[in-house]
Amino acid sequence: MLMDAPNPSSSAASSFLANLPSRGHFSSTIVLSNPVGMRAYVCDHDTSPPEGQHIKTNQQNILIRSLTLKKQRGDSSSKDGSDGSRKRNAEKVLERSSAKKTNNQINSRQEGSNSQTATRDFHNLTVERLRALLKAKGLSTKGKKEELITRLKDATG
Amino acid sequence: MSIWNYVVTAHKPTNVTHSCVGNFTSPQDLNLIIAKCTRIEIHLLSPQGLQPMLDVPIYGRIATLELFRPHGETQDYLFIATERYKFCVLQWDSETSELVTRAMGDVSDRIGRPTDNGQIGIIDPDCRLIGLHLYDGLFKVIPFDNKGQLKEAFNIRLEELQVLDIKFLYGCSKPTIVVLYQDNKDARHVKTYEVALKDKDFVEGPWSQNNLDNGADLLIPVPPPLCGVLIIGEETIVYCSANAFKAIPFGPSITKAYGRVDPDGSRYLLGDHTGLLSLLVITHEKEKVTGLKTEPLGETSIASTISYLDNAFVYIGSSYGDSQLIKLNLQPDAKGSYVEVLERYVNLGPIVDFCVVDLERQGQGQVVTCSGAYKDGSLRVVRNGIGINEQASVELQGIKGMWSLRSSTDDPFDTFLVVSFISETRILAMNLEDELEETEIEGFCSQVQTLFCHDAVHNQLVQVTSNSVRLVSSTTRELRNEWFAPSGYSVNVATANATQVLLATGGGHLVYLEIGDGILQEVKHAQLEYEISCLDINPIGENPNHSQLAAVGMWTDISVRIFSLPDLNLVTKEQLGGEIIPRSVLLCAFEGISYLLCALGDGHLLNFMLNTSTGELTDRKKVSLGTQPITLRTFSSKNTTHVFAASDRPTVIYSSNKKLLYSNVNLKEVSHMCPFNSAAFPDSLAIAKEGELTIGTIDDIQKLHIRSIPLGEHARRICHQEHSRTFAICSLKYNPTSGEDSEMHFVRLLDDQTFEFISTYSLDTYEYGCFIISCSFSDDNNVYYCVGTAYVLPEENEPTKGRILVFTVEDGKLQLIAEKETKGAVYCLNAFNGKLLAAINQKIQLYKWVLRDDGTHELQSECGHHGHILALYVQTRGDFIVVGDLMKSISLLIYKHEEGAIEERARDYNANWMSAVEILDDDIYLGAENNFNLFTVRKNSEGATDEERGRLEVVGEYHLGEFINRFRHGSLVMRLPDSDVGQIPTVIFGTINGVIGVIASLPHEQYVFLEKLQSNLRKVIKGVGGLSHEQWRSFNNEKKTVEARNFLDGDLIESFLDLNRSKMDEISKAMDVSVEELCKRVEELTRLH
Repeated sequence: MLMDAPNPSSSAASSFLANLPSRGHFSSTIVLSNPVGMRAYVCDHDTSPPEGQHIKTNQQNILIRSLTLKKQRGDSSSKDGSDGSRKRNAEKVLERSSAKKTNNQINSRQEGSNSQTATRDFHNLTVERLRALLKAKGLSTKGKKEELITRLKDATG
Repeated sequence: MSIWNYVVTAHKPTNVTHSCVGNFTSPQDLNLIIAKCTRIEIHLLSPQGLQPMLDVPIYGRIATLELFRPHGETQDYLFIATERYKFCVLQWDSETSELVTRAMGDVSDRIGRPTDNGQIGIIDPDCRLIGLHLYDGLFKVIPFDNKGQLKEAFNIRLEELQVLDIKFLYGCSKPTIVVLYQDNKDARHVKTYEVALKDKDFVEGPWSQNNLDNGADLLIPVPPPLCGVLIIGEETIVYCSANAFKAIPFGPSITKAYGRVDPDGSRYLLGDHTGLLSLLVITHEKEKVTGLKTEPLGETSIASTISYLDNAFVYIGSSYGDSQLIKLNLQPDAKGSYVEVLERYVNLGPIVDFCVVDLERQGQGQVVTCSGAYKDGSLRVVRNGIGINEQASVELQGIKGMWSLRSSTDDPFDTFLVVSFISETRILAMNLEDELEETEIEGFCSQVQTLFCHDAVHNQLVQVTSNSVRLVSSTTRELRNEWFAPSGYSVNVATANATQVLLATGGGHLVYLEIGDGILQEVKHAQLEYEISCLDINPIGENPNHSQLAAVGMWTDISVRIFSLPDLNLVTKEQLGGEIIPRSVLLCAFEGISYLLCALGDGHLLNFMLNTSTGELTDRKKVSLGTQPITLRTFSSKNTTHVFAASDRPTVIYSSNKKLLYSNVNLKEVSHMCPFNSAAFPDSLAIAKEGELTIGTIDDIQKLHIRSIPLGEHARRICHQEHSRTFAICSLKYNPTSGEDSEMHFVRLLDDQTFEFISTYSLDTYEYGCFIISCSFSDDNNVYYCVGTAYVLPEENEPTKGRILVFTVEDGKLQLIAEKETKGAVYCLNAFNGKLLAAINQKIQLYKWVLRDDGTHELQSECGHHGHILALYVQTRGDFIVVGDLMKSISLLIYKHEEGAIEERARDYNANWMSAVEILDDDIYLGAENNFNLFTVRKNSEGATDEERGRLEVVGEYHLGEFINRFRHGSLVMRLPDSDVGQIPTVIFGTINGVIGVIASLPHEQYVFLEKLQSNLRKVIKGVGGLSHEQWRSFNNEKKTVEARNFLDGDLIESFLDLNRSKMDEISKAMDVSVEELCKRVEELTRLH
């Protein structure tokens, strides 16, 4: 429909159509195609996939899987015993868990870390996460960040 | 018909759903791979164009098709996922020319809601993972390990529930997807996610973009160096990446397909819903995108897929019209289009309706389909078998033989046509006015029957009669030499080529003569123990004038023998078995392979492969062509040699991919045929049939012939009226320029020969033509077209008003005779006991045709039956009415004359959503439903209780993998009442993918035999990609999956004929039936379609 009127941008289209990619096919003037020559494929060889390439879907529930993965990560890092990595781990778990899902496991780990590091940790956390922690402990989530940290400190203190 | 049904494809799917280009068959080859729903086609790009390579059946409906290149590989792999949640990765092994399965699996989940917008399957450009979106709210990942092997798949929760498109972004250090989705306020947004393979989870991606065009539907990932994504909307096109955002107005149009032109992603082709092809250009300075531009290029078929091939050539795959090979020209043509269509690939899909007619009145069914949609709508006339286009014909009774002769050895054309009768020989020739007139060749003996004629070297002609062989000059037409049969013996059969004559006289004498310049020399004589029934010395060696071998068919011991020439030594003797003598033998070569064909007196044909150096006969096969003796003759068309088998069922034998194929010729009975390539009628055949001599050209040698009649509008229903020799269609025309609701609906009348519109009746605004039949009523001799309509108002969910219109055809015009308003859409109409049965919304309503006082007629409601959700498909037989419901499967009603009432008799209590129904016989009904399944139900009239009798028992189930829109009784092939196949009743179906198929009801014995063959074939013919045939054919819907029963897959069974000999032997051993018998029985089945 746009083609009917003399197109002012026809030169533009021509310029855009210049230098179309070519790898040497369709270069001959005779363009032939003979659909009758198509051979119907009859597959009389074994078509089972190579070993290990019969793919199935992991049937584990997505939530359980993600928790197990985290637990494994947590276990492996707690083995090497370094405080720092443990903290970071705890933090990650916190980051990734919604307030509701924050469970005893996390709490116990939080409780396990000493109060000094906990204080420093609280300052690094965002208000949202602090609120999540407070909510998990059944404390009020209102107030400024400083107030939240104090309240948390008192609770874990 | 019966419950044992055989389902076979007569016309393969042609709806192109996907296509891609890559190095599949070798690192150097560039291939175009096309998906046609249940098949893929592999083509090779070459300087001469597209070369077809393979047509591969897939045991599944292809949902996604992608080429990808794993790390360290030099050629691409093909990833295919099917709608039933199977996937496979295929690799081409160029050494064995086989498709090798690299991986396969099942990606279904036990719970999950299938996506509304179709399955998505994508592969990370850096080949780290395959992503699948199959169920709402889930994204499935199949990761690759570093060796390119696939690992266990896992699901990730995807927050977005209404996903429109997902693509992988290029140039990301971690695999990143971009998701186009709709929120619950119907606004559309895009969002990116990184796939964290270790955590098996998503990580919020680098960017997102909210509130896009409300019609945004398609994402195009842009490759490096630009990266980012193009979001195609109905009114805008947006380029989006982490650090750039560009938008331009576009359209309004709905983009259906795109194809990337440049590897760097700076140009794209977009195809919209009206078939307009546009070019989208990303302007950029180095790696910085500066803007977008679109340019309309021209019109193509409505594209479902676009693949840029090479050198300005583009493949347009279409679901609604023919697929095309186009070229983009630098300069526009006179109409301003840059698109030049170079080739069209026929697509019958979607077949919305069709009818079976016999236009030529030869007993040969033709299917006329309503094909295509929107502007690409058309009618297609599909005909099986090879047609003869008659050029001239004369009445001649009692023809016993025909031969064409040239006037000199170098003349490229034939001049004379020698026609032999029981006691005379007449010679016809083309005169100066290009007319066929009787002439004379003085040297020929014309008072007796001619047994054989041929051109000979040195401008000579040979005529063999019962007592002599005459050598005649073709220039002076005078006798040059004559050989006489020994006294007391007469020549019974004879054959000749340019330098040799072989003849047989009574008493089993075989005489071999050689032709020189004016010389006819008896070279050899042999005495055989029995009489000779037929001979052939057609040269198939290097010398086209001389044969090294002679084939001889014998009486009494029913054998065919090969003799060497000139010494007449017996080389091979093959017993044919049985009691039927060979009537015609022929030596011939197809595609470089030599064959011996031997036709028997009962219409059977045996073929052997012939080793020309040793004379050995191998690979014996038998087919049944007709019931009468066959005469074999070679002819050539388009520089290829074929064989014509003249009999009560004339057949052309030809070879394709080194396999002999048999195609019917659409003539009733042919006694003799000879090629007659004259200057006036080049490449013609002279055909003797029932008192007539015809000269005509032959169609292309192929099985199905399809003629297209483009309509430029969408035909939805068709029916034929024998009485007025017309077709009537319900059609609609879209008018995209004049805004919304610009559909116009028509009833149109077409001439059944020219297919021109001869009359049109325009329906009201919002009125749709739903059904059309041709029928007549009791107490009225006229034949009418009845049309059922519906008023489809935008504010109504279901139509509440419709009409039944009754037309007659007068002087080629549609005349509205009567109309009746209905309280709903008239989905179906049937002629029923001289009345009209209509399916109106949930009701079945019977109307009688009443004469009013003023002499006019009207439709008067008689009775009806409620109780359907929507009665969409109705078939009748006697007083029985079979209803296919929208969602309540099949029910059986009965019309009671005395009470004038319609009552329900029985129903199938399954919840099948029907797409077509048909009555196979009194007790068995066939249904197709919208999960691509077929099933049969049986009426249980002998049930002990009312409840048993009220239940239609499901007796057959099968997954066809095709959406059937229509069943019709009929056949594509000419039915011979006395042949085996002629007894088998068939139903034809048409599908959305353009498949025309045949369902044949088999006798139980044959069904059992073929079922056994099918199960043996399953062990030998494997599913490509490891997909299982049993699973593919199992009846499957949301509720259940059960193994197929009482249906056989004819496509699998007929592929037996494509197997090599060793595999055939394997099956023959397992079946304990000879290969010859298997071939014969399967070949017979191929003659059903």
